[in-house]
Amino acid sequence: MSIERPLILDKVIQVLETMTQDWDMDYAGTINEDVKLVEDLTFASIDIIQLVVALEEAFQRRDLPVDKLLLKDGRYVDEIKVSSIVDFLKAHL
Amino acid sequence: MSQTLFLGLDGATFHLLDDLICDRPGQGIVMPFLKRFMERGFRAPLRSTPHPLTPPAWTTLVTGRNPGEHGIYDFMRVDDRQDQVFFTLYDFRDIRCETIWSIAGRQNRRVSALNFPIMAPPPNINGSLIPGFTPWRHLRRNMTPASLYERLTAIPGFHPKELAWDFERENEVGNDMEEEYLADWVRYHLPREKLWFEVARKLLAEDRPELLAVLFDGVDKIQHQAWYYLDPELQPADPSPLHRQLRELCLSYFRNLDGYLEQLVALARPDARVFMASDHGFRDSATIVRINRYLADLGHLVYQELDGTAAAQRREASPFAYLNWHKTVAYCPTPSSNGIIIRVAQSPGQPGIAPCDYLGFRERLIGQLYRLIDPATGQPAIRDILIREEAFPGQASASAPDLTLVLADHGFVSIRNVAPPVGQRPRPVGTHHPDGVFMAAGPGIRAGARGEVFPIADVAATLLHSLELPIPGDLDGRVARACFRDDWLGDHPIRRGPATLPVNRDRPTTEAMPESEKQKILDQLAMLGYLEE
Repeated sequence: MSIERPLILDKVIQVLETMTQDWDMDYAGTINEDVKLVEDLTFASIDIIQLVVALEEAFQRRDLPVDKLLLKDGRYVDEIKVSSIVDFLKAHL
Repeated sequence: MSQTLFLGLDGATFHLLDDLICDRPGQGIVMPFLKRFMERGFRAPLRSTPHPLTPPAWTTLVTGRNPGEHGIYDFMRVDDRQDQVFFTLYDFRDIRCETIWSIAGRQNRRVSALNFPIMAPPPNINGSLIPGFTPWRHLRRNMTPASLYERLTAIPGFHPKELAWDFERENEVGNDMEEEYLADWVRYHLPREKLWFEVARKLLAEDRPELLAVLFDGVDKIQHQAWYYLDPELQPADPSPLHRQLRELCLSYFRNLDGYLEQLVALARPDARVFMASDHGFRDSATIVRINRYLADLGHLVYQELDGTAAAQRREASPFAYLNWHKTVAYCPTPSSNGIIIRVAQSPGQPGIAPCDYLGFRERLIGQLYRLIDPATGQPAIRDILIREEAFPGQASASAPDLTLVLADHGFVSIRNVAPPVGQRPRPVGTHHPDGVFMAAGPGIRAGARGEVFPIADVAATLLHSLELPIPGDLDGRVARACFRDDWLGDHPIRRGPATLPVNRDRPTTEAMPESEKQKILDQLAMLGYLEE
């Protein structure tokens, strides 16, 4: 099954908006492809675990190779942009 | 339809409750409502799951199935990929059996289930569900129905920060705390428990569910750290002012809890039956068994070498094993598991023992484990070793640890790389005991009666019978007949019904992951854990 990128983006933004609606954070803009999870949305470790579960639920998949999203060149990425999540899902859904 | 209340008391033990219902000089009766409840009802010890731990035990209580069937063994799920081992959290999708929330709900009973673990992401039920052990930032979207959160904001002072788990704080549960910090730890649980009470009261009053179940988990958290100040047998003859102050603070928690229980029971319908139970009991533990250090000394395990980076130090201090996976054949994954996993090579050249050597290796390892001696007592540090297929038969047996250890004092193991393998704590801490509590009162319940110990799997069937529902034929547990009057059972015979509905959730699958990258994911999980020395 292949899902168009704009549809994936809409769904990811929806998941993130639902997830962060009660959070104490300074970021007041809308969530778009350029938004950074840690810098803009104040994500911590446990939030990333919860995001993985939320994405698995939203896309009805438990076999996503999330290491490909969270790691780059053997190192944990310090920051994840929304566009990276969308690219990852486009490649693996 | 009659109403049933289930009030969960995480880790409650009669050893302590019986002291709190006595009139002690200078202390009075700490839990007067519970005293009256016991006098007008039934009580019995409740035997926990083979490994008495919160996730498997509560899951057994709410499914009526043993861990070998429901598949929850620990907080963390272990995924062995041969050249690496991946740890992640168990969640609701891992439970392989139907819950009583579902069984009752699909038979027209409205349910409110509050604060039970492994309930996120939440299932759809006929009523309301708020999962326990969920960080506050993720509580809203893990409630069902979706409109529930807005309803809760009507509670004065409501904030999800106080209702949900604070992972940074809860990670402290197994550390030896300084006394000054201990007071903060106890105070942290006071408003949290009050808010769970407020939520339960609101849903009980407004929704009038046929089954309201709420779990008060501060009992367990406070007993872990403050057992020394609570256990009547450990109280010094001449306690210091700080000791008195900490004990009184702990008792204030139980006084509050008693009030919450009383108000919830008062708010229930007059015909309601009320049940209380814990997932396990409690006792003191003074011995540290560093099981991975012992396995390393035996040559079965090699710790990962530290490269001096801060990331490596954080990982090494995390509550799940940090090992050289190419050279390790047997290890304990987490201190909360008390389990040992024997690695079997999936193909020649892979880490682990050859499949044909498994039984022989396991037998030798069991012998070696029983020979681990506590120098303080001269006795074995391990009192019992449970074998997977014997302790956890069922569809999920393969997910259980190969061996589960029962330590001499029922404590949790340490996985730290510290010698010697067996040592002593500076002062006793609280640990889980297999025998928890079961209490009941209301129409049809025997008054002032005591029963023999029965298994925790029986609670689900007992609650279903109280709801006047048939008992699914495939439950491991049975109705606890001893708690009901004979005449009431005659008028309300136990009915056997069809099996539970199958659970067909996607099982997680794995994909090969570059070894160099996996450590970073493990780092992300480092803040999650349970007990350590």
